[in-house]
Amino acid sequence: MMDYGAIYPEIILILFAVAIPALHMLIKSSRALAGISLVGIAASIGMVVYYMLNGYPSIIGNPDAPLLSFDALAAVFSLVFLSVAFVVVLASARYVEKDRHLAEYFTLIMMATAGMMLVSSAQDLLTIYIGIEIASMATYALVAFRKKDKRGSEAAVKYVIIGGMSSALSLYGISLLFGVTGTTNLIGINAALASQGVDLAALMALALLLAGFGFKIAIVPFHMWAPDVYEGATAPISAFLAAGSKKMGLVVLFKVFIVGLIAIKADWDIVVGIVAVLTMTIGNVIALSQTNMKRMLAYSSIGQAGYMLMAIPLATVVGDYAITGGIFHIITHAFMKGGAFIVVAAMAYVAIGESIADYKGLGKRAPFMAFSMTMFMFALAGIPPLSGFMSKVVLLSASVQAAEVTQWMIWLGVALVLNSALSLYYYVRVIKYMYVEKGETDAKIKVPVTLTAAIAICLVATIGLGLFFDPVLELCSEAARTLFPALGA
Amino acid sequence: MIPIEYFLALSGILFVIGVIGVLSKRNAIVVLMSIEIMLNAANINFVAFSAYYGNLNGAVFALVSIAIAAAEVAIGLAIIMNLYKTRDTISLDEINLLRW
Repeated sequence: MMDYGAIYPEIILILFAVAIPALHMLIKSSRALAGISLVGIAASIGMVVYYMLNGYPSIIGNPDAPLLSFDALAAVFSLVFLSVAFVVVLASARYVEKDRHLAEYFTLIMMATAGMMLVSSAQDLLTIYIGIEIASMATYALVAFRKKDKRGSEAAVKYVIIGGMSSALSLYGISLLFGVTGTTNLIGINAALASQGVDLAALMALALLLAGFGFKIAIVPFHMWAPDVYEGATAPISAFLAAGSKKMGLVVLFKVFIVGLIAIKADWDIVVGIVAVLTMTIGNVIALSQTNMKRMLAYSSIGQAGYMLMAIPLATVVGDYAITGGIFHIITHAFMKGGAFIVVAAMAYVAIGESIADYKGLGKRAPFMAFSMTMFMFALAGIPPLSGFMSKVVLLSASVQAAEVTQWMIWLGVALVLNSALSLYYYVRVIKYMYVEKGETDAKIKVPVTLTAAIAICLVATIGLGLFFDPVLELCSEAARTLFPALGA
Repeated sequence: MIPIEYFLALSGILFVIGVIGVLSKRNAIVVLMSIEIMLNAANINFVAFSAYYGNLNGAVFALVSIAIAAAEVAIGLAIIMNLYKTRDTISLDEINLLRW
């Protein structure tokens, strides 16, 4: 009898997800449906926490070539995805109340989350691919959620085509890798590559995998779709994409490169390093000239993805410490970027525009919104003592440590610092508009309590992770060690 | 038995045809079809390597990916149809509300 304990968190989520459209026959209120989804997400969080406290369940599949294993890494990432889903559902409760097909909206969010969690516990390219596709297809439909919206339908077409192309590229890469090594298991691939060395087919597979998964994370030069999609989607969905879907791509890269391809690291470390620097620089430079809030945040997410990507080349030298920094930055970024998008959602709900100029005088009109936005912006720029600062410090110190062995890696750290300074300009511009510029009116803005609650959760996480980072860092380090079995998890 | 190189050549050619289609065609449905050709090129690889190594992992992967590709087409066509309803076009050149 096989033990399926490793997918119980996903199963709970999927049960709730399929129950909601049925319940929609009886319950019409969007708040009640959101409440049920929140119960499902909370139950799944409970299951993950139970596993973290009482030991992890057994792996699924052959012990030599596992398919899924719910380990510390999977637990940490599941918690990130579930909290993002929780915040997004909470924020959506009022945001989508006037739309049709409410039940499907919540179902799709939970399905996408289940797919992302599957990716985080996958140990085989087959399960990674299935997880990515579950999450991607649900998010394609979510972007197209407002069917009458011209920008939304345009964004969905772009997303579906780019997403399909990216999965085709990565699938071809996987098939070549299977051809070279004779297995799709990550550990098996690494062992085979270590013994037989690199040939042209392996290099092609490497390039295709980097391109295919790179599209998902929107790393330069595969980033052009991201701003369009984030701008066209409704704001809570943009939050979900930036804080959830993008992180899924990073888990995949961590797993594939650190577990599966570490044996041939000499062939990819500098390429990934250059891509990381390009990603952060181009993301931040283009963000400087944006006037639409969502578009600016989208380019800033591209820049931030570059910081997280930095962890992969660094990990070839300093091992789990760099990945710890990467995971910690993923966690902090999920909350600060998610929070910023939800503030945009709240402003859109009260019919204030999405352009940065529309935020004039917000400090007077909606003090809590303006304060939260300020905190998110400072955290994204990396101002102490907020969370974004701490995670950048870990990444920076990893790069300094790595530079002692491999000299060029110091440039990753230099790029991180320079980009943080550069990004401060456009983050502070938002704050200037909110507090310094005078708005056309001083009328107070009333934001629904669910949106305020969602923002408050992100705010507490952003400030809390900056002040009390020790336990979280401990957790990240435990998670990072599971990628390096040689160190003993 | 047919040598493995023949299968690889076929899948390589199909993959390149797919990539060229995605990059050069402006009709969204043709682009979707090109993506399908790319996916099928990968499936040929999986099945060929599976027979070559004599293990079934590749064949299983091909079956799963065929199912996923079908789902992807379904959702892709639905979204393209929705685009046609709101914008009266499925040409990728004419959808340009979103740009920097």
